[in-house]
Amino acid sequence: MPGCALPGTPLADALPGINACVHCGFCLQACPTYLNLEDENDSPRGRIFLMRSLLEGTVKPDDPSVQQHIDQCLGCRACEPVCPSGVPYGQLLEATRATLREYAPVPFVARAILFVFAREWLLRPAMFFSRILAATPIPTLLSGMSGRLGFAMAMLASTGRSIERSRYQPVMRGERGNVATLRGCVMDGLFTATNGATRRVLAVNGYAIVAAPGQSCCGALHAHAGDLETARSLARRNIAAFDRSGAEFIAVNAAGCGAIMKEYGHLLKDDPEWRERAASTSARVKDVSELLAAAGPREGGPLPIRVTYDAPCHLQHAQRVTQAPLSVLAAIPGLELVPLHDSDQCCGSAGIYNLIEPETSDAVLAPKLANIRATGAAWVATGNPGCLMQIGAGLIRAEIPARAIHPVDLLDASYAAFGQ
Amino acid sequence: MRSGIAERLAEIVGERHVLSRPSELLVYNSDGLPGYRRQPRLAVFPGTREETIAVVRLLADEGLPFVPRGAGTGLSGGALADDIVVIGLHRLKKILSLDVENRRATVEPGVVNLRLNKHVAPHGLLYAPDPSSEAACTIGGNVAENAGGPHCLKYGVTLNHVLAMTVVLPSGELVELGSKVGERDGYDLRGAFIGSEGCFGLALDITVKLMTKPQAVRTLLADFTSVDQAAHVTSAIIASGIVPAALEFMDGPTIRVVEDSIYAAGYPRDAEAILLIELDGLEAGVSADLEAVRRICLDGGARNVKVARDDAERMKLWQGRKKAFGAMGRLAPHLIVQDAVIPRTRLPDILATIRAIGEKYGVVVCNVFHAGDGNLHPNIAYSADDPAESERVHKAMTEIMQACIDAGGSITGEHGVGLDKMGYMESIFSESSLNAMCELRAVFDPERRSNPGKVVPVHACKEWHAVPGGRLRMDT
Repeated sequence: MPGCALPGTPLADALPGINACVHCGFCLQACPTYLNLEDENDSPRGRIFLMRSLLEGTVKPDDPSVQQHIDQCLGCRACEPVCPSGVPYGQLLEATRATLREYAPVPFVARAILFVFAREWLLRPAMFFSRILAATPIPTLLSGMSGRLGFAMAMLASTGRSIERSRYQPVMRGERGNVATLRGCVMDGLFTATNGATRRVLAVNGYAIVAAPGQSCCGALHAHAGDLETARSLARRNIAAFDRSGAEFIAVNAAGCGAIMKEYGHLLKDDPEWRERAASTSARVKDVSELLAAAGPREGGPLPIRVTYDAPCHLQHAQRVTQAPLSVLAAIPGLELVPLHDSDQCCGSAGIYNLIEPETSDAVLAPKLANIRATGAAWVATGNPGCLMQIGAGLIRAEIPARAIHPVDLLDASYAAFGQ
Repeated sequence: MRSGIAERLAEIVGERHVLSRPSELLVYNSDGLPGYRRQPRLAVFPGTREETIAVVRLLADEGLPFVPRGAGTGLSGGALADDIVVIGLHRLKKILSLDVENRRATVEPGVVNLRLNKHVAPHGLLYAPDPSSEAACTIGGNVAENAGGPHCLKYGVTLNHVLAMTVVLPSGELVELGSKVGERDGYDLRGAFIGSEGCFGLALDITVKLMTKPQAVRTLLADFTSVDQAAHVTSAIIASGIVPAALEFMDGPTIRVVEDSIYAAGYPRDAEAILLIELDGLEAGVSADLEAVRRICLDGGARNVKVARDDAERMKLWQGRKKAFGAMGRLAPHLIVQDAVIPRTRLPDILATIRAIGEKYGVVVCNVFHAGDGNLHPNIAYSADDPAESERVHKAMTEIMQACIDAGGSITGEHGVGLDKMGYMESIFSESSLNAMCELRAVFDPERRSNPGKVVPVHACKEWHAVPGGRLRMDT
């Protein structure tokens, strides 16, 4: 581009991706913010046009309306699998946010959350406190309050509603190779049982679990907010930890974390020291459902329940993993899987978006809840902590008699029923 | 701009649905052909029929010109507003009624073509016109452009599938065009409105005809090592008397760009041309036609003729075709796409001419088009940042268009004239024809406030000479 207005910025580096957009508009109907806000500035095509305009200098990076439309993107990446030209929208968004950070500070709440997540010594106590709080009746009592506090309490309350199951000790044969699991932040803090279930079901399916100490937050939230430097430093810590573990596979049970970890290679592409290690780590990252699907997975004991499946955006659109979670559910005899209308649409969680942009988030969640209600399912299976809490909170507040659960928890309960 | 128009529009539609900041209006400065950019002064997005009427009446009272816009997927610059008001109709997206027994539906103009089809599919029905942008474009936009699509070869274009419309004229007056129950007496004003490219007013509701899904559908993929063979086979199929539901052509460069995309359909990458042929109807007839078409393809030099095994494979073959235009961004940052119609029998020599023109100017022309009705879509991907390349590309396109006109063809099959093809209007229409168009327009929009400066070149209308500067602008 002649006369780039923002030379040397991450956005300027992203120009080839922007240039791939031919303005065909095939992304419009895939975009939850366009469908809800009904303004093309809040569509992928519109935002890409704004990105191009920033580089052309026809809009300024300190323009508040430009910032608003970029901020309002959920980052669900539903536009990517419908784009004929393969525009790497997620990467463009991160580059834009990284460039705009200089001109507009990230909102306080987001800054505080990102600050804590990047620091183990703050994160683990914060998660510990959340876990203690979740175990009290307080979140449930406050979950009906209007506003964000009520929603946050409902999110916490939803984490204590997993499926009852007996304990079993899997026999570790390990014929499928060594696997290290990502501990995660929210998963470790609020979904401890799911992390345990993940290790057990992998073991049942022939994977040997190896430890990978020294892990940190995956950096997804930081990258999405445009804090690429923090995201890179967190990525380096994880790459080192998983390299030390010697694991052939890195199993991730949080779709958002898995998506960024599969992109560590891209994140560190300009770092000559880490570039290759990053790419090799990314190649070993698998969603837990992918590893299970590769092994069958083994059939469990009967679980006569009605379940519907909601695809996390970062699994379906970012990682393009669509069938594996369904094959996990299919391994459970007696489980009745009811299709969910528009299951590929975002639930509005989008990392910490639901806390920063509550109105849009609620607008995106509403049709999701209505579709879930229509299935009559008692359980909504979805493999990402953000979605689990967003949908879980929505179900509590809308008084829909269903609970959100990770598919791995269902498989674990099925194996427990078998007395595995 | 008269002060307070934005505020008064906001009183009608709500503040959130009026844009007046230049930085927010930028994305409305182009449609699916972003080589043309015109910055609107204001954008207003009514959410109901009543709001739309109120907006049009307010603009009428103020004498302000405006441009209606659907999803902005048009390919002729038709929905661009040069310093005037854009009325975005994409929020009017309700399917108002579905009459399964009488096979018709009434929809608001912002309903997306594919959404209508998904809505009626469970009843065994379909809406036939299927532009390649069906996943994004609106029925209102389809009416404005008289949109076509692959299946228009057998089933006809939008005009053949719209029964009636309620239209708000630019004056704010409401009129009913056509009839839900059959032909009305008098002139076919419905037919005049469809394809009027937003120059005659806005359709508030559109009643469309639905078809029952055909009993049998077969989709064939024939691949060729030469463009010429595929062109001759196209003519041979039509000459045989068989009317395929669709007969589409893609050349080698297009095949390869699609195969690189997420819509990779399994087209052979080493082919120089493929034909995608669909046959539908009653099972017995389709089977016979299938054999005949296969024979014609093989006799004409096809390397392989593959028949899709199931619906999933059929969809895949079609998705590759329909998303081909969108995939061109893989080649270069800018794209020019044309739309011309030629007599089908001229296909082989026009394709040879296009190739020669491409070579003369050193540009790669990708051809993906509706071969069955001779509706060509030459695409050239290029970089507009290189002025020399831009000039060569535009010269090549002009020469290609002229070759189509010289072959007895027309300048648009389905994309409309808009801004892009106004320059060709005088080369295919006489002065008296253009004047007749201006007079017809005056029946609907005597003040020429709806989508001004499009379709018919300004100077071709005698009356336009009376307007100082030749075009209407809002007061500043």
